[in-house]
Amino acid sequence: MSKSYFRKVAFGIGPDEKLPNNAVSWAKNQVDAVPDLTWQGEIPSGKDLLTRYSKWVYQDRKVLREKHKKDRKAYRAAKDQLRLEVGERYFENLELCIRHDAALNSGAPVFERLWMFWCNHFAITDKDFMPEFTTGPFHRETIRQHMCGNFTELVTAATTSWSMIHNLDNSESIGPNSKRGRWRRQNGEVATVNENHARELLELHTVSPAAGYTQKDVIALSYIMAGWEHPHSKKRLECNPVKFNPDSHEPGNHKVMGKTYKQRGLSPKSKLLDVIKDLCAHPNCKQFIAFKLCRHFICDEPTETMMQPIIDAWDATSGDLPSIHKALLDVAWANSDAEQKFQNPEIWLLQLVKMTGAPWPPTPKEMTYDFKSKPNKRQRQPSRLLRDLGLSPYRPTQPNGFPDTAPEWLSPELLIRRLAASREIGFRARFDLNYDDVVRKNFDAPDEVLSHLHGASSQQKAQLLFPSYWMLMA
Amino acid sequence: MTLNRRTFLAGAGSLTLLGSPLISARASQLKKRNLVVVMLRGGMDGLTAVPPKDKLLQSARPDIIVKGTISLNSDFALHPKLETFYELWKANQAAIFHATNIPYVNRSHFEGQDLMESGGHTPYGESTGWLGRGMEAAELQGLSVSLPMPLLLRGGINPDNYFPTRMRLPDQALMQRVAATYPEGSSLNDAMQRVLHRPMSMMQRVDDRDALSLAGTAAEELAKEDGPRVAVFDLNGFDTHAAQGGEDGEHGEMLSKFDGIVRILRNRMGNEFNNTLVVSLTEFGRKLEQNGGYGTEHGYGTAVLMAGGLVKSAKVHADWPGLASRSLYDGQDLNATIDARSIYCAAMAACFDVDFRYIRKHAFWDETLSDVTESLFRV
Repeated sequence: MSKSYFRKVAFGIGPDEKLPNNAVSWAKNQVDAVPDLTWQGEIPSGKDLLTRYSKWVYQDRKVLREKHKKDRKAYRAAKDQLRLEVGERYFENLELCIRHDAALNSGAPVFERLWMFWCNHFAITDKDFMPEFTTGPFHRETIRQHMCGNFTELVTAATTSWSMIHNLDNSESIGPNSKRGRWRRQNGEVATVNENHARELLELHTVSPAAGYTQKDVIALSYIMAGWEHPHSKKRLECNPVKFNPDSHEPGNHKVMGKTYKQRGLSPKSKLLDVIKDLCAHPNCKQFIAFKLCRHFICDEPTETMMQPIIDAWDATSGDLPSIHKALLDVAWANSDAEQKFQNPEIWLLQLVKMTGAPWPPTPKEMTYDFKSKPNKRQRQPSRLLRDLGLSPYRPTQPNGFPDTAPEWLSPELLIRRLAASREIGFRARFDLNYDDVVRKNFDAPDEVLSHLHGASSQQKAQLLFPSYWMLMA
Repeated sequence: MTLNRRTFLAGAGSLTLLGSPLISARASQLKKRNLVVVMLRGGMDGLTAVPPKDKLLQSARPDIIVKGTISLNSDFALHPKLETFYELWKANQAAIFHATNIPYVNRSHFEGQDLMESGGHTPYGESTGWLGRGMEAAELQGLSVSLPMPLLLRGGINPDNYFPTRMRLPDQALMQRVAATYPEGSSLNDAMQRVLHRPMSMMQRVDDRDALSLAGTAAEELAKEDGPRVAVFDLNGFDTHAAQGGEDGEHGEMLSKFDGIVRILRNRMGNEFNNTLVVSLTEFGRKLEQNGGYGTEHGYGTAVLMAGGLVKSAKVHADWPGLASRSLYDGQDLNATIDARSIYCAAMAACFDVDFRYIRKHAFWDETLSDVTESLFRV
């Protein structure tokens, strides 16, 4: 059997785990329900974190800058103090603990891999202080909670979330003929739509450029989306939950990709929901998502044959995500022996931890934070390590997320990080770790792998095994 | 860095990994000239960096017009944050090509950035970059100062990248054993050979990773007689849909980072800066008209900034189309009147000491690009 399957769709098999008898049914049983997060420490709500974020931006922009405008040093000191109070250096680390704890311990590692995939699909880029406060809860509350329903619901939830609206500037969008647009023009101000969010909804989240939409379609969709914004308030600034504001919305009917969208009922906000429904049912959307799933889990250049069963499952269930995920897991199994993929740094790290039982992530006790002093070294380790490896999950630089092909992850410098991390984490492997057992459970040609490790001390074994070809590929 | 004689000898047992003797021979015969490409991701606004003196710009951008610009000539000014660039301008070591862009008009960052690096016409259609292909044709190697290897450099001869870490490596003997598991000729093995033959100065643990400290390392490597001849920087953050601002806004901040890289290279490279050319590269410019959030939307035409001793003279090169609405692209953007790939092709011809047509054939598939080498660069 193909043992690499357990690394392809999960994180491998740990020292205390048995190899499942039937790999595919093991995998498929994990995608029907959203598993609870396993982290035993604090899991702050998105609402609370948005409030902390608002305190950070409000105090900085409206209070400290004004108060210390003549004294840069005093301003810096006050800002550093504020940093501690709101946990500006803390929460990204806590989020990484929550994420990695789930990956390693939820009992549904396949679900967790899919969670990571969808978080990356709806990438929130490193902008303002979103990685520090709000991207983690977006992943936990918006993406994760919608992974066992219909794709349309997932897209709708992501599109109308505070994180996406803020990340793609939709609150800046003002329909030129909206109430606000008219006021602004009367005052000599400019009033236009911001096309960013509409463009990414088409290009990255649903149909992809292959659908052949035009600039006119993008503008029409921007009109439809205008009004989906986070209200601005005096004390919380932009940090208020998204609310549709009809005053910014471009009135009238708008035509996107050949279809005219009219208002249903009393609120024009239904137009966006109707467009999303159609985008999600578009053949190019199914094609695009099937391609991305195969590219993430199977190989860099997926074939039509790999994608078709996923598209079929989509058609048969009108976009039911568990069915789509199960079809993917079948295809991944069918191609498990023939195809291999270079594993991205975060997945590789989690595989390494899973196999060695290294103490990762830090424990809830270690992560207990007083909001008075700088987070300690252990508390800052998650973000530091991930940054060193080259993949900080809350900090993609572009809205298309982290890349999924080998050349993007394969450079001398990135390789150095894997070598160095193997050394650091290998030192922390379980003291009673039996490398024979690790290799036999997780690799398809164990004898070859074991001969590579032959004669090495257990600390050396970690440094030899984890950057090896067999481990980097799955 | 692997082209120095010592490492070349060290790697003589595995010649294919380090390049053929021919490459080394060419590199050692050639007068060393350096090409530095700074990628400005997000859409650098040529109208903010090098604003034309035109009332139409004022009226299209009432809230984000840059004040305190430096006059370059009767038609153009310079953003005040480009301080070093202006010093170089005064010394005839900086120039601008305005109203230009890569041939891409669809306003998507991802497609645009893919094309600015690949040099092609179909997004995601090429797996190599124009600089990588040009370097391969000229038989030269390069260094990227970034963590992932940019598409721009791919297709070259074992391109290297550098980005300091605080972690420690396993010892050499263990790394050699790891390397033995990588298939021969695989890109993984190529990368590993680069790691094994890296100079000690690049193996040290460094804490500071901002663009300026990286520029310092790149400057030191480039200044070496046997160092790399090409360096690539990656600056992200030009996508100013909101709060683009005037002189102190987001776009100004980003231009100041670009200027900082130029400053460090000039200060640290010594005389070698005279044999160096720095060029900017971006996916597109930004729309003429400001948006509701004091920012600008994705556009088309922009400017290419050029600095260094290989610049021929301080000049704004442009077949200026003007900002009247009839001359705008799509009625909204500054037009591009020359394919920016002509400039990059010329930059490679000048720095790699090869014929423009030769580079054009290998890096740009012999497409129609006008030879601007002599008008832009000292050759």
